[in-house]
Amino acid sequence: MASSQVVKVLIVDDDVVTRRIYRTMLLRFGFEITEAGDGKSAVSQFLIGNEYDLILMDNDMPGMNGVEATRTLRGMGILAKIIAITADANSRGALLDAGADEFLLKPVNFTMLTVILKAFNFLN
Amino acid sequence: MDYVHLRRQAASLRKGLFDQGYLDEQFYQLEDLQDDASPNFVEEVVTLFFRDSARLMANIDQALDKCVKDFNKLDVYMQQLKGSCTSIGASRMKTECTAFRECCRDENIEGCMRSFQKIKREHSVLRQKLESYFQLLRQAGPVECATRPNK
Repeated sequence: MASSQVVKVLIVDDDVVTRRIYRTMLLRFGFEITEAGDGKSAVSQFLIGNEYDLILMDNDMPGMNGVEATRTLRGMGILAKIIAITADANSRGALLDAGADEFLLKPVNFTMLTVILKAFNFLN
Repeated sequence: MDYVHLRRQAASLRKGLFDQGYLDEQFYQLEDLQDDASPNFVEEVVTLFFRDSARLMANIDQALDKCVKDFNKLDVYMQQLKGSCTSIGASRMKTECTAFRECCRDENIEGCMRSFQKIKREHSVLRQKLESYFQLLRQAGPVECATRPNK
């Protein structure tokens, strides 16, 4: 986990509405939120030295998609938990192979997301 | 002012949105996220949706106006719009987005045009209905969370 006690989350999705919804949900847990609109921006966050405990990674994004971003981050040695989120169930294998820790289908069921957050020990 | 009547009107309008298929269960999740810390969350997200979807639809309009149709680009735009619709539970719009994407895959430009006109109509109707709904809620004043309609 990043050095701070607060869970730091990076939300990666090209849809501003989706990011807003995830933000509201995660703020309820007292998490610190940063947003990125595509895979390249997500990778840039780490290149400039930011640290995150958790990444919510959309797959279908312009430019660098979630599979490529996940693979790149793992190749950089980034150990943050990555929850891949996509509308395409067929992407599951590729996302997990790229290094995602968990997979959720859109639209996100918030109860399921909470279960995963608990399993990752991000919630007391 | 008859606040009870206004609340009943709002509840009826909301029920109609679900019964007529404009909204699906995802909208419930948005309502569940609304609380004292985010008292206007649903309306804020819906407002954001209509603003952003108008932008995406303008991009699609421009792409459809071009002499040479780029079906890949059209599909990317529509995928984004569909994702947005899915996030707020805009069910009928989502269905039409799927139909549009199928026309893109078939490189059926006439199908795309027809489908896009439907999307615009659904967008307009949903916008009007939700604006009326939120206006009624504002007039009725702060209340406990509306209960889900009986299925």
